[in-house]
Amino acid sequence: MNKKLLAAISVIVVIIIVIGVLAAVQSTQKPQAEKKRLLRIGFSWPTYIDPAVGSDYSSSTAFTNLYDPLIFPGEKGVPKPWVAESWETSPDGLTWRLHIKQGIKFHSGDELKAEDVVFSFQRLLTIGKGYAYLFTPYIDSVTAVDDYTVKVTLKKPYGPFVAAMMRVYVLDKDVVMQHIKKPGPYGDNGDYGTDWLLTHDAGSGPYKVKEVVLEDHVYMTRFKDYWGPMTENAADEIHMLSLAQPATEKTLLTQKQLEISSQWLPEETIDALAKENYLKVAAFPGGDEFYIMMHTKKPPLDDIHVRKAIAYAVDYDTIVDQIFPGNPIAKGPVPSYLPGADPNLPTYYRDLDKAMEELQKSKYWPDIKNNPNKYAIDFHWIAEVPAEEKVAIMVAQNLQEIGLKVNVVKVPWLSVVEEMANISTSPHMVSVFVSAHYAEAGSLLESRYHSKSADTWEQNEWLLNETIDQMIEDALSTIDTNERYQEYAEIQRAIMELCPSIFLFDHMLKVVHQDYVKLPQDEGYYTGVMGYDFDGRLIEVLSTT
Amino acid sequence: MFKYILVINVKSKIVRCVFKMRAIWKYVGKRVLYVIPTLIGLSIFIFILSRVLPGDPALMAAGPNAPKWVVEQIRHQLRLDKPLWEQYYYWLVDLFHGDLGYSIYTKRSVTVDVVEYLPASLQLIFLAALFEIGGALALGIISGRYAYKLPDNMVRVLAYIGISVPSFVWGLLFQLIFASLIPLFPSHGMYSYGTISPPRVTGFSLIDSLIAGQFDTFVDILWHMVLPAFALSLGAMAQDARIIRAGMVDTLQKDHVSLVRAYGIPERTIFSKYILKPSLVPAVTVMGMDIASLLGNAFMVEMIFQWPGFSRYGINVMLNKDINGIVAVVLVIGIIFAIANILVDVVVAYLDPRIGRRSA
Repeated sequence: MNKKLLAAISVIVVIIIVIGVLAAVQSTQKPQAEKKRLLRIGFSWPTYIDPAVGSDYSSSTAFTNLYDPLIFPGEKGVPKPWVAESWETSPDGLTWRLHIKQGIKFHSGDELKAEDVVFSFQRLLTIGKGYAYLFTPYIDSVTAVDDYTVKVTLKKPYGPFVAAMMRVYVLDKDVVMQHIKKPGPYGDNGDYGTDWLLTHDAGSGPYKVKEVVLEDHVYMTRFKDYWGPMTENAADEIHMLSLAQPATEKTLLTQKQLEISSQWLPEETIDALAKENYLKVAAFPGGDEFYIMMHTKKPPLDDIHVRKAIAYAVDYDTIVDQIFPGNPIAKGPVPSYLPGADPNLPTYYRDLDKAMEELQKSKYWPDIKNNPNKYAIDFHWIAEVPAEEKVAIMVAQNLQEIGLKVNVVKVPWLSVVEEMANISTSPHMVSVFVSAHYAEAGSLLESRYHSKSADTWEQNEWLLNETIDQMIEDALSTIDTNERYQEYAEIQRAIMELCPSIFLFDHMLKVVHQDYVKLPQDEGYYTGVMGYDFDGRLIEVLSTT
Repeated sequence: MFKYILVINVKSKIVRCVFKMRAIWKYVGKRVLYVIPTLIGLSIFIFILSRVLPGDPALMAAGPNAPKWVVEQIRHQLRLDKPLWEQYYYWLVDLFHGDLGYSIYTKRSVTVDVVEYLPASLQLIFLAALFEIGGALALGIISGRYAYKLPDNMVRVLAYIGISVPSFVWGLLFQLIFASLIPLFPSHGMYSYGTISPPRVTGFSLIDSLIAGQFDTFVDILWHMVLPAFALSLGAMAQDARIIRAGMVDTLQKDHVSLVRAYGIPERTIFSKYILKPSLVPAVTVMGMDIASLLGNAFMVEMIFQWPGFSRYGINVMLNKDINGIVAVVLVIGIIFAIANILVDVVVAYLDPRIGRRSA
């Protein structure tokens, strides 16, 4: 047995040596990879590069670089003409004519025309996923008037339609139709190209797909015939990488194998990395706000005075200074930099005397003081975001100071979503980050406080207030921007008065990047629109790899 | 005369070999029969469990703001609108057609996912298994041979550390030391930047790179595998080394060892034939199971080293409530465990023929 074993081992060793020698010879002859400006960015996964499927941060970043939207967010989210170089609307706001820019080339070499825009709209609305929800309640029909004019007919006026068009990415109709699979769930259109578009693009953006491994990365390479403005030192390739471990990101950053970190690095890691002289930290508004949502139909939070007492008891400064440093305290129901936000709202601040005053006005006084266990408040925090536990504990301590008892409960995200779908299972309080879907206050006001979103994870308040609903609908159907912003301001004041939430802070995204990468955010630039932060058109890479 | 004796001898050897093979196949066949109901039971259990976990898979797939009709469309597509038994029936029918269902996480067939990600994990585990077996044998034998002496004490301390520290901690540590502080190995991924991935033939990138004659790619992949595979193997290696040592120490005190020593048989032969071989039986059983369990345990290591493997896929489908993905992952791990079990039984039967005879 031993002799046989020895013989087998000898054979294996000889094979390994032979392969090793061959490999060594091969390695010495390996041509050096061409030096390129690489931009490697970390993201939390998954990333769906099909604009009719994805709608999260990484997917939206991929759309920004692979496709051209109809409207582009400029600085501070101000809409600027892009594929739609101009537009006009009928006096009733129901008919929009979009004039398409001539000379835009898809990656296939074909010119982008009105029928591609119509196709992209129809595909988005038919599939119904991704950002379709922004349009399905409003759009009646989309037709091509000629090669460069698109007519959109709405069911009802939609004031933020222009801002929402930042989420319409134009696909090359011919390329998609060449790759549809039949049979599929969309009748004659088969699968509408969804399978092919998981790993390929049909866009006109500054980058085109080089390689997609669904579980791992999206590699894009520069599109040389891009029509739009590009910074002089734009990356030759953008690599979007799935990175879930801060330790891995730290190693990659210190080895210069990652140009920009993900936005999910813990504060301690950011602080440690910031000490390296070749790394920089960029902080910029991400379009979201951190709320503690209070269930307004559940005792004792059904009493406005209890809610106000809580709002006056919370120690905002300590939360922002100690737990989420660098994030400005929120000034209202929407981030203060969002177009349409009212900067002059009366706000809540820590004042224990006022808190006690409000508590004494409530219908539960003095029972709430004498029997705190009877009125115990459940505070659910999302298990996947550990820093939220510190916030929950801090709030529990703050409320203890006015005699309220809080049970801090750690709950996985999926369970939170499930319990928030029902008025009876929704917790008293839950802390959640919520983003604007387009760069306007109306987006958050609708998703956070309109009754139609009461059974979603974006609203635990169960406000169910018909007046607020009507105000939101009226504002969203106002075409004149200034008038609409005035109406948004009124809604924000009404919500502050109802005090359904604790408005903790406007969330600033923080990323660590190499010093040879120039982010526009370093100069104070931001769009506040999710997915437009890492735009290859604007980021400079001053070193080759 | 001699010719006849030779022919008879060869014939009897062939007959014995045929009988032996038959016995082995009968043994394997029996084991496979035992495995089938186990796998069916496992599939029913995980199928039900995946569907009663909190979170609505249709809602997860549609996205947080999707209209209700899209959610219902997905519910219908996933057959979630049907009774549980009917869902299982259709799932079983599809399984026999090689279709593991639609993944709401990757938005494509789970079968495609398994074919894409499983080979990457299997080749990582293969290397980890080589490290595990080689290291366990070396450490176990040293420890057993020099029981209660300095080498044994050193190995025991190392083994305790190996067992008590989880593989992801080793992963982080190796990444920090050997990829960051002393950059001997790559810190993540399967290929270095600029390396051309081989055309997909078997799905095993190591084999595919050899088929394509890309030896530099082969070395590059192997280079990327060293740290994660070693991190993955350490816990099992330490455990197996301790089992081998314990077996050897136990066997050393057996009467038959004293007897063969009294016969004057060389110490080398005594060690390899009468001490090591019987001591390996329990270790082989544990080793087989350890190797199979690496697939389930590799997710943290795969995440740390960004290895595009099946274990990382497994954890992601679980986090995203991808019901078909979850069932497929658990089932594949179950099948690999079952195969490992059968292989272990065969090897153990070879090492200790009494076990094989008893079972047959």
